[in-house]
Amino acid sequence: MRWVRVRRAVVALVAVAGLYGLAAQIGHGRLPDRIWLGTHYVENVQLLPTWRSLAEEGTFLLESDILVSSVAVSTRRVAIGLILGSIAGILLGLLTGLATRLESLADPWVTFFRFTPALALLPLYVVWFGYGESSKVLLIATNVAVITLLGAHQGVRGVPRVYLDAAASLGAGPWLRFRRVVLPVAFPSIFASIRVAAGLAWVTIVVAELIDARMPSLGYLLTLAGAYPRVPTMLLALATVGALVLLFDLLALLLHSWGTRWMERAG
Amino acid sequence: MTDSAPAPVLEAVGVSYSYPGPTPTQALDQLSLEVKDNEFLALLGPVGCGKTTLLRIFAGFLRPTKGAVRCGGATIAGPGWQRGYVLQEQAIFPWMRVRENVEFGLLAKGVEPSARRAVSDELLGLIGLSSFEAAFPRELSAGMSKMVEVARVLATDPSILLLDEPFGALDAQTRAHMQDALARLWERRRKTVLFVTHDAEEALYLADRIVVLSQRPGRIKAQFSVDLPRPRSFETRFSSGFLALKRQVWEATGTEPVRRDHQA
Repeated sequence: MRWVRVRRAVVALVAVAGLYGLAAQIGHGRLPDRIWLGTHYVENVQLLPTWRSLAEEGTFLLESDILVSSVAVSTRRVAIGLILGSIAGILLGLLTGLATRLESLADPWVTFFRFTPALALLPLYVVWFGYGESSKVLLIATNVAVITLLGAHQGVRGVPRVYLDAAASLGAGPWLRFRRVVLPVAFPSIFASIRVAAGLAWVTIVVAELIDARMPSLGYLLTLAGAYPRVPTMLLALATVGALVLLFDLLALLLHSWGTRWMERAG
Repeated sequence: MTDSAPAPVLEAVGVSYSYPGPTPTQALDQLSLEVKDNEFLALLGPVGCGKTTLLRIFAGFLRPTKGAVRCGGATIAGPGWQRGYVLQEQAIFPWMRVRENVEFGLLAKGVEPSARRAVSDELLGLIGLSSFEAAFPRELSAGMSKMVEVARVLATDPSILLLDEPFGALDAQTRAHMQDALARLWERRRKTVLFVTHDAEEALYLADRIVVLSQRPGRIKAQFSVDLPRPRSFETRFSSGFLALKRQVWEATGTEPVRRDHQA
């Protein structure tokens, strides 16, 4: 079952890549290479770079170590932000899920932050935490924390009464009930939220790396490529971010299925 | 105690219970009940008569609005393993393997792993599920799951069992199997049992005494003592004593068509 899905995903990726290559080849020499950028004309723009020019650009980015170091730096930021944000979010979510009074206290704040765009917090975080790593990482962590807080909260609230009653009548105290009943039942919801947050963290990083924008970083690579503009670089940077999102999603998915071995999986 | 009658292990004195809310529902009204030591008492009544409410009060999850409930003379203050409670709903822990489920109560008591294992080995053998020890509950049938729940409650060796329609959701054939298994279990390890059911035949097959409850609010309508020989078997279900009692119980529950004829 799992392999069928992997095969289908690969087929879909190859098909889209193939179609793109075909379109680029047809457009090669036919599409305009001079475009108006609002204030001036830019020459030698490849609107749809061919596979060949993408390969050349890729080789350059790899050989110059730009891509690898950018990936390393951005991944590190996302990973730290994801871990910090998840820990904070899950702890708060468990707390508000267990204590009804805290819920009503936390509720408006969760809604408030849930729909606050990362970009809106950016100036504030720069003022508070400076231009360094911390403002970037904390921006990601904030976004991640809000999502995982909701996941953990709903997970705890969704624990069926029957299990808690059964555990209590078997003599389990609050701590054992929390560890062996609440946590396992809330687990799927928590990890589903981590999966969403992992994707969101990558959305945030591109924005976060506008702070004190400098190489190496994937966000700044994209910004730079847009300034020239160099479409092959943009596409490769986008594809790299996309691949990393897929990788993080896969990791979250593995974690999720490990934690839900006991559940029946349909299909 | 001056006479030889054993003291009640479980006792409800004038218990009333109303579910709070905008339209309070009175589930129980001035109900008094005694369950004696090592007695298998079946509480029989129609759906919604407050049987489950009474059991949840005995289990310690509900406090009576009026009256008192006692266990061994002490007022019941909350849930505890001494009163092993099997819920009406499917309450096996699906995220634990069968063995972990059975050992959960022992884990809560802080029993050593090797000692837990010895108990779960014995109980799994007793319910015939030794080969499923490492299975997750989703691999079990509904009947097997319920037996694991019973074993889970038995693991801590409580002196009292509160069983809330444990076989209510099963088909007739499986239910008969489970009743046999429970009867064998009980004959081997005598305990005080309060068994809630709406099935008269099940009550007769298992119990020493049957208490029939009325429609809501639940009151005691009739009592029967079931003096059928033990161990009970397939033959018991068709013995003349069993059938005669069954007729009486059915009449007491008010399900007999005769009554309608009288009224006509």
